[in-house]
Amino acid sequence: MNGLVLYARSRALPLTLAALAGTTAFAVWSAGRLDSYLDPDRRVPVVALAPLLASAVIGTSLYTASAELDRTAVRPWWPRRLAQLALLTALAAALLPLAVLGHTETFGPPAMIRNTLGCTGFTALAAALLGARLSWLPAFAYVSAVYMGGHGAHGRAATVWAWPMQPGAERGAWVAAVTLFALGAALYAAVGARPEGPRA
Amino acid sequence: MNSIHVTGLRVRHRKTLALDSLDLGLGTGVHGLLGPNGAGKTSLIRVLATVARPDAGRVEILGEDTAEHRGRTEVRRRLGYLPQEFGYYPGFTVREFVAYVAWLKEVPAERVPDAVERAVTRVGLADRADAKVRTLSGGMVRRVGIAQAIVNDPAVLLLDEPTAGLDPEQRVEFRALLRELGTSATVVVSTHLVEDVAAACTEVTLLDAGRVAYRGTPEALTVLGEASDGPGDHPIERGYTAVLRAHRAAGSGAREAVR
Repeated sequence: MNGLVLYARSRALPLTLAALAGTTAFAVWSAGRLDSYLDPDRRVPVVALAPLLASAVIGTSLYTASAELDRTAVRPWWPRRLAQLALLTALAAALLPLAVLGHTETFGPPAMIRNTLGCTGFTALAAALLGARLSWLPAFAYVSAVYMGGHGAHGRAATVWAWPMQPGAERGAWVAAVTLFALGAALYAAVGARPEGPRA
Repeated sequence: MNSIHVTGLRVRHRKTLALDSLDLGLGTGVHGLLGPNGAGKTSLIRVLATVARPDAGRVEILGEDTAEHRGRTEVRRRLGYLPQEFGYYPGFTVREFVAYVAWLKEVPAERVPDAVERAVTRVGLADRADAKVRTLSGGMVRRVGIAQAIVNDPAVLLLDEPTAGLDPEQRVEFRALLRELGTSATVVVSTHLVEDVAAACTEVTLLDAGRVAYRGTPEALTVLGEASDGPGDHPIERGYTAVLRAHRAAGSGAREAVR
């Protein structure tokens, strides 16, 4: 009974890995039906929504059933939390671009990686503030709102607030997504997911 | 010598003062923590378990100041804790859950299998060690909680309502386990069940509104009850009620004097 294996199982990591693989397969299948060779912009739904699904999977895996006992651990938690979040994010960022190869300047792998970072950061932030089980909700609401209302948005500010819908080369969108990831990862590593259940 | 030394402890939950300038020293033995709901028992246990930080005061456990990182780390290694709601991972067996806590406590890997076996046997769950925790009854889950709390052979053991959900026979067995643990460790048991204190504790501390209302032996509390005609079916229950009412009367008297 290796401690790290028990830790991985306590965070449902096998299920999380399977869900990330399933999300990737779904994204590849969806992107294949878009005829994006005609126009790369057709990939926008996949580039915006697949990272959102992956971040929901990662966010719910941050749930801790025995938060009160975990707080009595001898070693500090932040390295384990950071490693868990970073590894899952790296895995999602490596897998999801397989759905949108090519067209790197518009809606290809860079845009997918950027959105994976942004959505996961958003979800990690929500896990720390609201709890892991509903951590997907704020990112879902934000990306959905941008998806519905961000089509006609132009200008420098729009490249930042509408980051999930921007082409891969857009610098403002990268700044927004990387900042979100840094904030989310730092806060989650420092305080963990907000305790849920009777003591929440 | 005291393993737990608390001075001027103050804990606040939003606008409520849960513990108010509490001073307490506890040594080897079984210490019953009694008091009405909201008296501050769980707040005290959580501060001693190093999961909650006090707003003021000093907590020294096993000679280490828990406000310091190094001290807290050393204390956690030698501490056992059963919260009221401990939560468990649905896919874990009893053995895996107790091993997970042993890992949290940094019990050396080669010692974990024996430590888990021993803890599970001590709470009478040896025959269910490979059952999933989620398939167990409420009383058995509580015993899993006790097993995880003792897996590292703690020098300080903190149990918050450990007998909730145990049937009478299990409670009798648990009291025997408490007495055994109390010969070498400082055991603090928060409970509403006065009869558990009478049967298993060497000392009793009664909290009310975040302050110590009484400290003494269960026998002394029983004697107080025998001399009291207050409510209660047993002398120790009458002693509990009498002490609580006397403490409240003294508190309101002092407030009147200030006015």
